[in-house]
Amino acid sequence: MASFILNGRPVTVDADPAMPILWVVREKVGLSGTKFGCGIAQCGACTVHLDGQPVRSCSTSISQAEGREVTTIEGVAGPDGELSKVQQAWVSEQVPQCGYCQSGQIMSATALLRDNPSPTDADIDAAMSGNICRCGTYTRIRRAIKVAAGQEPPRTEAMGEEA
Amino acid sequence: MNDMSPEKKKSGLAKWSRRGFIGAGVLAGGGLLIGIGVRPGNPIGSLASKVAPGAGEQLVNSWVKIDMNNVVTAIVPHCEMGQGAHSVLAQMLADELDAAWDQVQVMQAPADGSYVVSDTARMFAAPFTLNAADWLEPTWDGLFTQLGKSMDLLITGGSSSIRTTGQNQMRIAGAAARQMLVGAAADAWGVPASEIATRDSVLTHEASGNSAPYSEFATAAAEQSMDHTPTLKTRDQYRLMGRSKARTDIPAKVNGTAEFGIDAVPEGLELSYAAVVRPPVPGTNVTAMDASRAEGMPGVLQILNMGNFVAVVADSYWQAQQAVNTVQIDWSQSESPVRTMDDQFAVFAAALDEAGETGGNQAAARGDAPAALAEAATVLEAEYRAPYLAHAPMEPLNCTAHVADGKCAIWTSTQVPLMARSEVASTIGIGADDITIHHPYLGGAFGRRLGSEYVAMAARVAQATGYPVKMIWSREEDTQKALYRCADMSRMRAGLSESGALVAYDSVFTQRHDPAEACVPAIYNIANTSVRVAEAELHLPFQAWRSVDHSQQGFFIESFIDEAAHAAGTDPLEYRLAMVENAPRHKAVLEKLAEISNWRGPNAEGTAKGVAIVESFGTIVAEVIEVDMTSGKPKMTNCWAVCDAGYVMNPDGFRNQIEGGIVFGLTAAMYGELELKDGAIVQSNFHDYKMLRMDEVPNIEVALINSGDVPVGGAGEPGLPPAAPALANAIFAATGRRLRELPIAKQFT
Amino acid sequence: MRNRAILAASLLTVMVTACGSSEQPEVLEQIVVRERGEAAPIVQADPAAPTDLAALGEDAFQMCSGCHAIEAGAPSSAGPNLRGVVGRVAGSLDGYPYSDALTGSEVTWDEASLDLYLADPAGYLPGTDMLAGAVRDEENRAAIIAYLASTSTDDSE
Repeated sequence: MASFILNGRPVTVDADPAMPILWVVREKVGLSGTKFGCGIAQCGACTVHLDGQPVRSCSTSISQAEGREVTTIEGVAGPDGELSKVQQAWVSEQVPQCGYCQSGQIMSATALLRDNPSPTDADIDAAMSGNICRCGTYTRIRRAIKVAAGQEPPRTEAMGEEA
Repeated sequence: MNDMSPEKKKSGLAKWSRRGFIGAGVLAGGGLLIGIGVRPGNPIGSLASKVAPGAGEQLVNSWVKIDMNNVVTAIVPHCEMGQGAHSVLAQMLADELDAAWDQVQVMQAPADGSYVVSDTARMFAAPFTLNAADWLEPTWDGLFTQLGKSMDLLITGGSSSIRTTGQNQMRIAGAAARQMLVGAAADAWGVPASEIATRDSVLTHEASGNSAPYSEFATAAAEQSMDHTPTLKTRDQYRLMGRSKARTDIPAKVNGTAEFGIDAVPEGLELSYAAVVRPPVPGTNVTAMDASRAEGMPGVLQILNMGNFVAVVADSYWQAQQAVNTVQIDWSQSESPVRTMDDQFAVFAAALDEAGETGGNQAAARGDAPAALAEAATVLEAEYRAPYLAHAPMEPLNCTAHVADGKCAIWTSTQVPLMARSEVASTIGIGADDITIHHPYLGGAFGRRLGSEYVAMAARVAQATGYPVKMIWSREEDTQKALYRCADMSRMRAGLSESGALVAYDSVFTQRHDPAEACVPAIYNIANTSVRVAEAELHLPFQAWRSVDHSQQGFFIESFIDEAAHAAGTDPLEYRLAMVENAPRHKAVLEKLAEISNWRGPNAEGTAKGVAIVESFGTIVAEVIEVDMTSGKPKMTNCWAVCDAGYVMNPDGFRNQIEGGIVFGLTAAMYGELELKDGAIVQSNFHDYKMLRMDEVPNIEVALINSGDVPVGGAGEPGLPPAAPALANAIFAATGRRLRELPIAKQFT
Repeated sequence: MRNRAILAASLLTVMVTACGSSEQPEVLEQIVVRERGEAAPIVQADPAAPTDLAALGEDAFQMCSGCHAIEAGAPSSAGPNLRGVVGRVAGSLDGYPYSDALTGSEVTWDEASLDLYLADPAGYLPGTDMLAGAVRDEENRAAIIAYLASTSTDDSE
């Protein structure tokens, strides 16, 4: 049995202590927003917060979470589903393409901005380089982080016009 | 609406021999239904023949309905894999229909015979270049359903969604529906149709004070005569097309609720999980399996030797993967002579040697290239190479299958749900009618999910166990045992006149897939051109990869043109401009690129720039990459791109696709490579099959040109082909070192 | 025109028929370990299991095992094999493509340096390829290091 706090609620599941948090959350609890990408902590698609710190849940066993707080993408929005600042910026900057890596990107960005409300480009590079986006939305992710940090204004429909 | 008398069926089939159809009917419960079917554009057609042998051109159906709640729903045959197709198609429909934007929704057609029809006969002239609607034939409802029973193809690829479904189906259906609604209202109100205005899903006749929502006349509209050449809006009349409307799929992709194939949890079914091991060398089979360790591992339910792969089924995927890792498997010997990439390139070189200076299959010819080369003042020769590449979508290949009681249900991310269904049918011996394919969002595809061997694998495992199984490939399987962008080698010769002008061009290479014209430097005015193919065997199985042949040919051609420019002592961008003198669109793209990249101004300290231009999938894209070589290794600092797609339906969505194509192209240029050892792929995961990351991606600025009255070009692929040559050309500008093979990073260690 | 339409229809028929008659691959071996719902054989934790730090670390090392092998002679995967890493010069395992940060570090791994590195890899050795896998929990870190120290490349097990 493993007991931990998932998105603010206590959870107890019957799982092999060595099973990664990723698979416990996806298969045992049924929250599928956290994604499997590589299984070796190289791509960041599975990023969750463990006591507030971003970790790669594909390579962190559930025994590490015993009695601790795990936050997944489903726990980022407010209680009534109101999107967080980071999520709102992801919408305003129209970041996602396929969207598969974006849960992990948002978890990394959320942790960055909580620890460092006005990140520099170098800070963003350091915090986000563990997350791969195969669709190549990096420039938009960077901009969305700056929008969420209040460093740049959100895009409006008219800003997308040209030609 | 299902009046299918033999007489009508006959006339319907006769009409089928025309190029397309449109028909209307009444929805059950009231409302208007319009069905429309066309044959899509050229690239996708030839692609289809590759992925579904025996099948050729296809017809694609879309359906538009207006229900009694005034909601407009379009059912389209395209999946959403990040390209934003659903949103843009909704824009095109809503605009022509004058529908309220927030009451238009796009749904993906289920993989069911009623939605798509195919035609294997290749009998139609290409409608791609025709103006919308002048090739449509009105028909009656039901025909589509009838034809659909024999259909097979439903494809998303070839940057085709907007160009074919949007232009030829959504807009026409929207305009026809609007005219029929106006006609019905005019009859009811006793006023001339020309006096009725439409806006935001409401019909208004100002003089009489009549006003009604579309839903009020939706049923009556179905009785109106169908105009198969409805008047489409001109650009000055667009209200939604050409605007950066927000994509409708994005909100669910930021809060974890978007459902991808791997997330499938079929209602009422208890899932077990499978992990698989496929042959390390293509084409080999299991000769022996020792699963004794796996048998004792936690959670394991079954261990299966499937002949060409091994599967372990367990209570969780993680347990299945741990267990399958311990299975000892002996594989049969491969017959391929290729054990290493040196072997593969030797195979290519032998084919090119045999073709010599004039042999091979002539892919394109103009003037007399051999003679012009013989007379040229300077002849340049170069050999270029491109490696094998994996698609590596972020969502690993996966499929959930349940086979029971002679029926099969599938949940998977696929670009070709109907071909997947056929493959499942022939693999497990269940009729296609008894197979249902559910296909939610794709976590990336890039061509990989045009193949569906993984779907058939899951179906086999589920059939063997008898219970529902979710099969997931590890990243290692996905990288090492999949389908690939082909490696290739191209030998190129250029003849320059005394003044340095390119007067002769010859190339010979070994691989030609799609688009057929990708290997031809057609945008340039070169008097003597010869392009030849000397076919050679590939060791790894091929699958179309984003931009297909343009991905390697763009690098070959645009690097070699750069060599010619430098040999002529001319600035590479000015050299290209001189060769597109009579092509105003290409010229405008290059001029705008020179302007936004400050090409003619001084370079920033420590940097140099390179340029490339490729026209692909109907869109011209030119890019400048700025690179900083001061550390001795390439650091990309800026990228500027100018695109002319004729007309861009959603500028921000288009830009997002181009940005993505550039990053995809630069990733391949810097790192993309699969090496072989003993015939098996060496790279296994993102630590050695590297992707560009946040700290390596340059700033990207994309400018758009709407040049006007040409068929609308694609967005998903055209950003990619110029990226690698622009980078290699920039490195040449900085260092004088010409890079004739990829990837680049390892050449600067 | 009509002839062409009929041709198309008959081709479709042929194609559909052909689809159904393909040879179906066989399952060569099917080992049923247990049926679904059947309780898994209970693997009891060994009551005499040691509770020393290294044993705790062996469990905690699971979080590292995605990238690092620990078995003697096992090939390195995403990260280098860590068997006997304590006492080893950083960046020195044959055949593993280390970053310049590691090879140029002049660190010899001991409990103290591993503690600093695992707490914040990029902070301790900027430029490291170890982008993930920091062990922020102090107790876990100590346990993992104890476990690493308990392994040796000399043993022949």
